Amino acid sequence: MATKDEGAFWSIIGYLLSGFLIWGGIGWLADHFLGTHILFLVGMLMGTVASLFLIWIRFVKE
Amino acid sequence: MSVLLAKAESGFTPPSAADFEFQPIFGHSIYFTKPVFMVFLSVIVISVFFITSARKAAIVPSRMQFAGESVYGFVRKTIGEEVIGPEFMRFMPFLFSIFTFVLVNNLFGIFPLLQFPTMSRIGFPISITICTYLVYHFVSVKHKGLLPYLKEICFMPGIPKPVYLILTPVEIATYFITRPLTLAMRLFANMFAGHLLLLIFTLGGEYLLHSGLIFKFMSIFSFGFAIGLTFFEFGIQCLQAYIFTLLSALYIAGALSDEH
Repeated sequence: MATKDEGAFWSIIGYLLSGFLIWGGIGWLADHFLGTHILFLVGMLMGTVASLFLIWIRFVKE
Repeated sequence: MSVLLAKAESGFTPPSAADFEFQPIFGHSIYFTKPVFMVFLSVIVISVFFITSARKAAIVPSRMQFAGESVYGFVRKTIGEEVIGPEFMRFMPFLFSIFTFVLVNNLFGIFPLLQFPTMSRIGFPISITICTYLVYHFVSVKHKGLLPYLKEICFMPGIPKPVYLILTPVEIATYFITRPLTLAMRLFANMFAGHLLLLIFTLGGEYLLHSGLIFKFMSIFSFGFAIGLTFFEFGIQCLQAYIFTLLSALYIAGALSDEH
């Protein structure tokens, strides 16, 4: 059981990271090309929401 | 040593990333530095150890056979059987190789005279990660077929359609970027930081030893800390080898499972 928990722990970190990376990255790029400053933050928040939602589906709902 | 003494006169130079770069051993070839030599050494050590421990296998095991079998039994029970399940035997050679390879190369970090963890050069964790990456994607494609596999990553069931727009990029990034990235970075960063920590206390102690009288006394604490941290490092090095293998096994298990 401990082995499974350890796996879940690292998967959760992985999901959070990829949420930040992808949507934060898209937001940053959009900021860069559109000349705005808010989209990076919006992207980060969206990424966090997406990761938390995925984690909820994968680990809590089951 | 003489370099260090010269530095001691002009103030303490803290260890930095430059301490992880080595001069070529033979001539100017960048392929023959200390870490590369140590990787080959680890292969020799592992091969010799397990061949001698398995050569005269007996029902009443010798001490050598017992040592070899308990390492194998550990990987097999706690990582193979528990994580992958009934099909685990196919992956045991892979998991066992990764575990012993990472473990021995990590332990080089506190082994007298060698005292450098090979895995603190990022190239080595990356190359093992590439193996794991290829294996778990290959197993997935073989087990599920290419299109169903991609479909499973992109569209997880039971979610309203517009949400896919947000979730799909995150899922793709997790499978193809974050997993290998974290796998390699975790091993590298742990070994790098651990070695740096040991360097700080050993070099600091040595610097204090060459300073004034009160500082000479203080160097005892610095060396004491270095010794304590060496034991701590031993734990970290074993743990990181275990976690690396465990996560590889988890990714393979995910590739073999039919549904989430």
